[in-house]
Amino acid sequence: MKKNEIVNEVADLNLSYLLLAQRLVREDCATAMFRLGLSREVADLLGSLSLSQVVKLAASNVLLCRFRFDDHAIFSSLVHDDRNQALQQAHASILLLGRRSKRFANVAYINSLPMLRIAPAIDHNDD
Amino acid sequence: MTTKSVILEAHEIQLAIDLINLGARLQFLEAQTRLSRDRLIKLYKELKGGSPPKGLLPFSADWFMTWLSNIHSSMFYNIYRFMVTEGKCEPIVAVIKSYRLYLEQTEQQGAESVLDFTRAWMLTRFFDADLLQLSTCTRCHGHFVAHAHDPQSGFVCVLCRPPSRAGKTRKTTTGDSGETQSCINVSLEPI
Repeated sequence: MKKNEIVNEVADLNLSYLLLAQRLVREDCATAMFRLGLSREVADLLGSLSLSQVVKLAASNVLLCRFRFDDHAIFSSLVHDDRNQALQQAHASILLLGRRSKRFANVAYINSLPMLRIAPAIDHNDD
Repeated sequence: MTTKSVILEAHEIQLAIDLINLGARLQFLEAQTRLSRDRLIKLYKELKGGSPPKGLLPFSADWFMTWLSNIHSSMFYNIYRFMVTEGKCEPIVAVIKSYRLYLEQTEQQGAESVLDFTRAWMLTRFFDADLLQLSTCTRCHGHFVAHAHDPQSGFVCVLCRPPSRAGKTRKTTTGDSGETQSCINVSLEPI
């Protein structure tokens, strides 16, 4: 009984996630990619799914959306941060964007645009 | 002059309207659209109900280095960078989209948007001109706005190591009534 409830809740969440994601992608693809943390290919595919495909995809016992703070070090530093909320959120959004670009960025394209290059961290461990 | 396309002109006017609504200055509109100065002024007056502000645009790259400005400009530039590299947007479209997202984010956080639209655009121009760069913090690995050619070794961002006076102004020490937002509404002297 209880197990069934959980599966239903997961499927419900999947469906609302997919529907929301689809709406965002169709409205404005670039902004949706930013909000959802998706690559262009995935966003395009998501936007082109038919309703029946979405429903089929959602009916699963695993969640289709993923927790974005999957780096333990970053997550714990944000949680154990005693600064005010606004600063914490500002930090979180900067970190999320930094992580994204590392995971999905097309390196050749970025290096062709000098102003978008990022200087790597050089840690001398002096403290 | 070049042959005029009505559709193209309509696009340009729509772009100018978007830009004016976001708070763009006249110099910026002139640089980004092919509409004449007179038409832009007319459009500006119609939308804002007053003449556009005169005077020079802010030109200092140092402004982006003070504590709060650096946090906000890093937030904006990270979004902008995403829009160009991942979203494959035109620079001007990327500025508009990322500035809207930046406004939305600060509003959500209950903070004042320190970075205005003109400064946001100037920020992207400074990056184009190789005056600024994104440096990676050695502690949190976030990317932050910094002077180009600054030494990279051991760079720590303003959020991991805030300056000692950060957020401690008269406003926050006397008017402290448990407000979480009050801290980010302060302005700081250049460090």
